[in-house]
Amino acid sequence: MSENLTGLVKIIGISILLVVLWAFLAYQIPENFLKPNNIENLLRRTALFGILGIGVSFVIISSGIDLSIGSLVCFTACLLALFLSVSYNPYVSTDVLEIKAAEKKLVVRRDGNFEVGQSIRYYGGRRARNAMLTITAINPTEYQGRPASEILVDQALTRDDTADASNRSVGKIAAMYPISQVSDNHLDLPFQRLGPRDRVWFVHPERGLKEKTVASVAPSMQSKDLTEVKFTEPLDGIDASYIAIPLARKQRMSVPLAIISVLLIALGLGMIHGILITKLKQQPFVVTLCGLLIYRGLSRWLSNDQTLGFGNEFEGSLGLLATGRLVLWDSGTSSFGIPYSFFFLILLTIAAIIFLNFTIWGRYILALGRNEEAARYSGVNTGRMTILAYVLCAVLAGFGGILFALDANSIAPSSFGNFFELYAIAAAVLGGCSLRGGEGSIIGVVVGTALMQTLYNSIVLLKIPDELEYAIIGAVILIGVTSDEVIRMIANRFKRD
Amino acid sequence: MDQVSLSLGQGEVLAVIGENGAGKSTLMKILAGVQTADSGDIRMDGRNCHFESTREAMDHGIVLIHQELNLCDNLNIGQNIFLGREPRTAGIINRREINRRSSEYLKMVGLDVAPTTVVGSLTIGKQQMVEIAKALSVNARVLIMDEPTSSLSSKESDALFRLIGQLRDQGVSIIYISHRLSEVKRLADRVVVLRDGQNAGELQGEQIQHDAMVQCMVGRDVSQFYSRQRHPTGDVVFKADKIRTFEWPQHELSFEIRAGEIVGLAGLVGAGRTELLQSLFGITPLIAGECWLEGKRVLLNSPSEAIDHGICLVPEDRKQHGLIVDFSVVNNIGLPNLKPNQRGFGFSNFAKQRHSSIEMCDLLDIKTPTIRQLVKFLSGGNQQKVVIGKWLAQDPKILLLDEPTRGIDIGAKEQIYKLMEQLASESMAILFASSEMEEILGLADRVIVLHEGHVSGVLDHQQLSEQAVMQLATGKAVDTKPKA
Repeated sequence: MSENLTGLVKIIGISILLVVLWAFLAYQIPENFLKPNNIENLLRRTALFGILGIGVSFVIISSGIDLSIGSLVCFTACLLALFLSVSYNPYVSTDVLEIKAAEKKLVVRRDGNFEVGQSIRYYGGRRARNAMLTITAINPTEYQGRPASEILVDQALTRDDTADASNRSVGKIAAMYPISQVSDNHLDLPFQRLGPRDRVWFVHPERGLKEKTVASVAPSMQSKDLTEVKFTEPLDGIDASYIAIPLARKQRMSVPLAIISVLLIALGLGMIHGILITKLKQQPFVVTLCGLLIYRGLSRWLSNDQTLGFGNEFEGSLGLLATGRLVLWDSGTSSFGIPYSFFFLILLTIAAIIFLNFTIWGRYILALGRNEEAARYSGVNTGRMTILAYVLCAVLAGFGGILFALDANSIAPSSFGNFFELYAIAAAVLGGCSLRGGEGSIIGVVVGTALMQTLYNSIVLLKIPDELEYAIIGAVILIGVTSDEVIRMIANRFKRD
Repeated sequence: MDQVSLSLGQGEVLAVIGENGAGKSTLMKILAGVQTADSGDIRMDGRNCHFESTREAMDHGIVLIHQELNLCDNLNIGQNIFLGREPRTAGIINRREINRRSSEYLKMVGLDVAPTTVVGSLTIGKQQMVEIAKALSVNARVLIMDEPTSSLSSKESDALFRLIGQLRDQGVSIIYISHRLSEVKRLADRVVVLRDGQNAGELQGEQIQHDAMVQCMVGRDVSQFYSRQRHPTGDVVFKADKIRTFEWPQHELSFEIRAGEIVGLAGLVGAGRTELLQSLFGITPLIAGECWLEGKRVLLNSPSEAIDHGICLVPEDRKQHGLIVDFSVVNNIGLPNLKPNQRGFGFSNFAKQRHSSIEMCDLLDIKTPTIRQLVKFLSGGNQQKVVIGKWLAQDPKILLLDEPTRGIDIGAKEQIYKLMEQLASESMAILFASSEMEEILGLADRVIVLHEGHVSGVLDHQQLSEQAVMQLATGKAVDTKPKA
């Protein structure tokens, strides 16, 4: 009997099951199942969960377990969202420390570049109101012993306010600039520092506030003090009676740095898991269960338990990693394309197969999963190999987290990624990995993932009550993993009779 | 197994011997209800019996004591003896009753410990006594013992033999399976020899002689124990200078091994032989002292370091430490050689792996249908050759072997002896630990005898005798100076 034979039988079995399920769905509900949209969706979900499944299969093959994957997906997704968080703040602005309404006076921090005669907008205050002001005088002063500026304005704000220990400012003021030459999607502005992807607030005393995104800037033909700003959309309803506040776009980290940071953090966490398990002799179940709790808690804390997302900041760039697709045909009304994430899965599958079967490290992980002692007695550095398995798992969970985050574009830290570890483990087990270790194939895991996702898909399409989802998936996994044992027992009985 | 017949009288000690794979284990499993026979029947007191489970066999008074003991380490003696048959009052376990009755059985087997002692804290020998006490508690009429002395010290073995004698006198019939022919000679009233799953002969009373048994077993004339050609030895390859092991930190050990020398490591069970070999291989690193290999100081903190220096260990526990039994021959032989054989960038060189496996199978005469065969389907002797093969492919400087012939048949034993001799003649240094006196006497150029963790003496070839080894092993001083 060959080493790989039983594994091969399992893969063939589960592949047949998958094909049968596909055939059934294609026959039963072709209009829904075979819809390009649905197939794309299925491919995308298979790809995302497949990445997690391949990761956890390394750990399972090394006879460990990783329960922290779902939380790690959430944690890395939150980190990515935080690292890439974008804010828009007025270029010229400062904090207001005190308002004296009767004296038409504002005390501000000294760091603004304001001039007499400049129009400013007051915003973000707690009590005082009055949005549009003009500076009449600026004098240096002190506020609570620190240098500040006193700004006199042409109109009174509604009431007094002052900063105390709990709130360090009572609002902000930002410089406003008049606009001219407004047409279709561009205008002239006496402000030079705007760049593409910056934004502009257009403020009108009666008509309120509009926000537009800058497409490009060029020197104006009218005057060398003016800049011609082109916007990404038409400036409907905006005319010269509006006043502009230029906003600077600030992204916390560059995209490559954010991705590398997230992956390095995942790598570090995987390494911590591995070290706790190998050097401090902790049980994998316990270590990663604690990971599950810790990363979930950290995610909620970092995000203040607020749903995070990327808005439309990365729609045409980074977001394509998860949402992009290679269009195969396009009939105008409908189109079909293969999601980019599916290509990642294919590449990753090939790399993982090569790693597991054709490199010495893959062989070491298989060996130590079968019999860790014997592997050690054969000179395998079993500790290092175990750590490697957990690192691979965590990094792939981190990579999966990035893709899931970009795909969903809405990360609720308390629920994002819930149960993902169990989906991944279930797919690995369906695909022929034994939790006893030393057994498993990457192809099997991918097929297992596809089967799980098809099941999920069919529950939706066949209009089976949602509530039954987990029950059905659970039952199918149970049938899948016990069937080969049952078949073997029946075969043995026939042989004996 | 093919048509074996066996009869057993009351109060008789019947020894069943045969090479590995002769069908002894299968026969015993059938008798004890672990397996069922395809054909034929079992009669007790003239009545036909059919056992579907060990429980049924036990109800008939047949108890099998496995080579690896089946006790729960975490439970105490009483709990183990009555496991699954706890005396109860109103559904609650009656501990006092357990302890009272356990004490009786312990007294019967001559074990002087409280029934509340946790089994895990007992020595293997005493655990075996507990197993026998457990068998007595079910009124065993037939006791089957599979290699009972394989992990016992000679003192413990003696106690066991006395107990067997007592049980026989009480009318208990005993089936005794052993590779140790001297024990068989000492104990057995009758010997049944199996070969290739068939009856190969039966010896009674005076006929039970060593040579006769061996001849029945292998079917050829083996008139004497292995004795080898002696070769002159070379320079000192390995020197241990005042090393201390983790298990015996109070003793310093110093010794040397020369190129082409076969050094035996003798001593009673628990004398620290395995621990010493494992320390030299980096499993549990030495806590003090220096090791010198070919004049250079080496650190042996992990097996991979030891292997890098050319020190390889064939461990005592073949299935747990020596092999991955669910891996094929080629993958077992290949495992430690993946790194040296790699193509670069960590890619395995399958062709080279296959090539070296085939080479080893030829060299060591490993009987396997293909190199893809799973190791668990090979016989013990062939398994051991696979373990040796995975190291020979590395061409080690020093080969450490721990009980190299444990549980393997005579034919394979001799092949391993020949191999060790050949390796030594090719100037490999060999250090082997063995509990079998014949091996130590027949094979070693020099013997290091350990007693409770320290070197109690070193005997060179001229000084070597059974008596000298035993005296040193039991801690008595012998008038020999360690060879410089």
